[in-house]
Amino acid sequence: MGTRTAALGPVPAKSGSNAAFNDKGKPMEVRQSNMIAAKAISDAVRTSLGPRGMDKMIQTSKGEVIVTNDGATILRSIQALHPAAKMLVDLSAAQDVEAGDGTTSVVVLAGSLLGAAEKMLNKGIHPTIIAEAFLKASAKAVEYLTEISVPVNLDDDAALRRAATTSLNSKIVSQYSSTLAPIAVQAVRRLVTQTSSNVDLRDIRIVKKVGGTIEDTELVEGVVLNQNVVVSAGGPTRVEKAKIGLIQFQLSAPKPDMDNTVIINDYRQMDKVIKEGRQYLLNMFKKIKKAGCNVLLIQKSILRDAVDETALSFLKKLNILVVKDVERDEIEFLSKSLACKPVADIEAFTEDKLGYAELVDETSDSGPKVVRITGIKNKGKTVSILAMGSNNLILEECERSLHDALCVVRCLVKKRALIAGGGSPEIHVSRLLADYAHSLKGMEAYCFQAYADALEVIPTTLAENAGLNPIAIVTELRNRHALGERNAGINVRTGLISNILDEDVVQPLLVSTSAIELSTETICLLLKIDDYVHAR
Amino acid sequence: MSMNILGAEATEEKAENARLSSFVGALALGDLVKSTLGPKGMNKILQSASTGEINVTNDGATILKAIQLDNAAAKILVNISKVQDDEVGDGTTSVCVLAAELLREAEKLIAQRIHPQTIIEGYRIASAAALEALEKSAVDNSADPVKFRQDLVNIARTTLSSKVLSQDKNYFSNLAVDAVLRLKGSTDLDHIQIIKKVGGKLTDSYLDEGFILDKTIGVNCPKRLENAKILIANTSMDTDKIKIFGARVKVDSTGKLAELERAEREKMKSKVEAIAAHGINVFVNRQLIYNYPESLLAEKGILTIEHADFEGVERLSLVTGGEIASTFDRPDLVKLGQCDLIEEIIIGEDKLIKFSGVAAGQACTVVLRGSTHQMVDEAERSLHDALSVLSQTVKETRVALGGGCAEMLMSCAVDNEAKRVMGKKAIAVEAFSHALRQLPTILADNAGYDSSDLVSRLRAAHYDGQSDAGLDMDQGTIGSMRQLGITESYKLKRQVVLSASEAAEMILRVDDILRATPRKREAV
Repeated sequence: MGTRTAALGPVPAKSGSNAAFNDKGKPMEVRQSNMIAAKAISDAVRTSLGPRGMDKMIQTSKGEVIVTNDGATILRSIQALHPAAKMLVDLSAAQDVEAGDGTTSVVVLAGSLLGAAEKMLNKGIHPTIIAEAFLKASAKAVEYLTEISVPVNLDDDAALRRAATTSLNSKIVSQYSSTLAPIAVQAVRRLVTQTSSNVDLRDIRIVKKVGGTIEDTELVEGVVLNQNVVVSAGGPTRVEKAKIGLIQFQLSAPKPDMDNTVIINDYRQMDKVIKEGRQYLLNMFKKIKKAGCNVLLIQKSILRDAVDETALSFLKKLNILVVKDVERDEIEFLSKSLACKPVADIEAFTEDKLGYAELVDETSDSGPKVVRITGIKNKGKTVSILAMGSNNLILEECERSLHDALCVVRCLVKKRALIAGGGSPEIHVSRLLADYAHSLKGMEAYCFQAYADALEVIPTTLAENAGLNPIAIVTELRNRHALGERNAGINVRTGLISNILDEDVVQPLLVSTSAIELSTETICLLLKIDDYVHAR
Repeated sequence: MSMNILGAEATEEKAENARLSSFVGALALGDLVKSTLGPKGMNKILQSASTGEINVTNDGATILKAIQLDNAAAKILVNISKVQDDEVGDGTTSVCVLAAELLREAEKLIAQRIHPQTIIEGYRIASAAALEALEKSAVDNSADPVKFRQDLVNIARTTLSSKVLSQDKNYFSNLAVDAVLRLKGSTDLDHIQIIKKVGGKLTDSYLDEGFILDKTIGVNCPKRLENAKILIANTSMDTDKIKIFGARVKVDSTGKLAELERAEREKMKSKVEAIAAHGINVFVNRQLIYNYPESLLAEKGILTIEHADFEGVERLSLVTGGEIASTFDRPDLVKLGQCDLIEEIIIGEDKLIKFSGVAAGQACTVVLRGSTHQMVDEAERSLHDALSVLSQTVKETRVALGGGCAEMLMSCAVDNEAKRVMGKKAIAVEAFSHALRQLPTILADNAGYDSSDLVSRLRAAHYDGQSDAGLDMDQGTIGSMRQLGITESYKLKRQVVLSASEAAEMILRVDDILRATPRKREAV
């Protein structure tokens, strides 16, 4: 309201007059049902917010069990039916794309904003007025957040690590945050330059292996493979001074694309078939040997076997290490990392297409067998992380947490600023917004006030989940902020209010701003709905 | 003895009944979309019964297209809304609402025992008068580029203010105007590509020159290429199999098999050679390019893009000026596409390929971001409406005023005309004017203002000679639409009045509805 103040005509500006607004029964009912559904979703994830948040166990339709604390994962698995609920699920996914972290906060915030909107609606304020005021309030909130943010340099390892640690602290793997945070920071830092404004997380590959503990998770110099070495014929598992060939053809009997039948009329022909099969393979291996290749990575094929028995025995004789079942979508990453070119036909198999590494080795130091390729010449800008865990559940969660931490660091690359965590920025913004509301007139002032109150849901939930008295904590927090301690936040570990920057609890600015912007946008779309129409 | 004249399940509704059922259907439809009208209009959730997919929209045409109807008159309204969408792109709700209001008035007149034909006659006189008044009030600023651009921006703002983009209408109206002006008068919106990516907020959307393809560059190819010569193809890059069912090769040894395999490879290789002979450095195929040809092409330094879909290939051929080829024997006959730079860009989490400096200079891409699927979908519809209105305005440069101003102007003109008309049809002319006045009334109602008060003041203002008076929806007062810059395309307004009155006429003439026997379906 009120962007155009040029009021015309003799009548005084009835800014946001609602004298005649009487909502009809049905639109109100629709809105109510939207709000109930959306709040149900937000309540479902609410308890997982913060370092003392609880985890959820999800049983998927396939009977798989997932234990997680990640908002986006939880919501993705909930089969939401209600349209409004679906929108919140989408909202969380959008936050995942944009910031990667804060997927729970964004939904909790949306639920709280809806609650605020409901109160406004009950007062008889027109939904579009609420929506517009909320959008303006969110712009203002982002402004305040940017104001208190601290710029960060990408060279400042400690600062990046603190942000990653804060993100990891609210996950199941929180006790390993000291291991995982530096990994996340280093992984991203290897990929960025001072000028880059984004990081493609596909260049960071997390290889999961069951066995060992999360502490064994490491950032690998070089490349780790998902697959293991084929040892059935007793081939080598360790090759020094490796020349690596990435091939997209198969080392088995020929098979043209056309349907074919081999007709054998008498027993002599059988020998011929076998002999020619061997000859065919032998020709291939001659070429491979000529190129000097001693490590072969073979792409998976659904049409024929990657290697057959005969090929394996040849490979053993030639002392070539073989890894099969490389997926097609891995080829890009591998060829980039190993500085080799994929070869699709034996004719094209020449030395210049091979990658060179000091050592290719399959070890089982920390439990599972892992193929590492180290000392790669002309290594591309990629990073491999070897994630370990004692069981699949923890491993999957570890990967999700690591992904979140990587996203947090990426956020800092996108927008190089940090703000405090622990509910501190929310209280700060809420206080300033409430002040600002006093300077407004009309419906807008009410809506701003409500928006400010709604932001307090984050510190309240943090305190609730930590088993603290939310009212006592939030009011004290407000009080401390009013006294000028703008970095005061909830220290969940001690259960007290303290300067949260001293506690090293920081988060990227982008996570908070995008949570506020995205949730407000969605709420406004929801508010404006007054009917369901059943379509074809 | 009773005899069946019609088929077993065919039905007939006569005279009063027929009219009643048309009125009921049309009015119900008008009431349904009415609440979406105007800057303070509401959205609807469309939930598909079959897939459960949801859509949030306030675009009249989208809503009307989606609902299932079993009423002949209602279907006519849906149709005119569709025509409006195709012709102008916006005003799809208005046209439906106006037609419904005209019918509402007609219903009253029929209750007063006025013959439908008389009403139609009156409506015709009225709509002619309305259109004349509208034409008189229209302003043409096309001679002055600065003013004209301002007009366009205003039109875009007006269109967008009733949509999901209303909060960011300044940003998007400039974006839309930039995009349309690039077209240089063409109304072919195919040149403006809209890419939707969830994530980010609405104002993260931007206009980019050139063309963006949502695909990835093949393995081992350069990720950035200048002065690209592009061959766009639709050909299968796996071995050209014999396309006869059951064809099969019989051999008697593995060696023969190997030879066969080799022959297949050679064939592929020669195809690649033929492609490379075009002197290209980019090869885009609609279908998959498999490993082998891909690596061969990469070796020749040709960038490959596979599986680009029909739409992608066609747009690419449109913007780069290349032809879609499927045989490669005559390189001299194939027209290649050109562009200055091909590079990979990241939007959100996805990598896309951008073609900039394309041959068709007018081509551009709008990248839309938003918090949910529903949000970006609705943003796309809104932007599309704005773009089509703008592109129409570039052709028909006259503009009219929005905010209920044009309707009130026409209503006053029709009122004046009514005084001169003799006979019963004068009542119908008056009724038409009343129906026109319903549009500002609904606008005010939707915003929660006191509509009877506002509309009567608006009418008074028009009779006072303030011909640019309209509803200022932000302040809830009467204001000068010219000063507030609330403009709409003349063509849009004209089309609304024309099709609404035509549709109302058509429905009024009906006195008998015959329904054929529904086609029998086997139980599923």
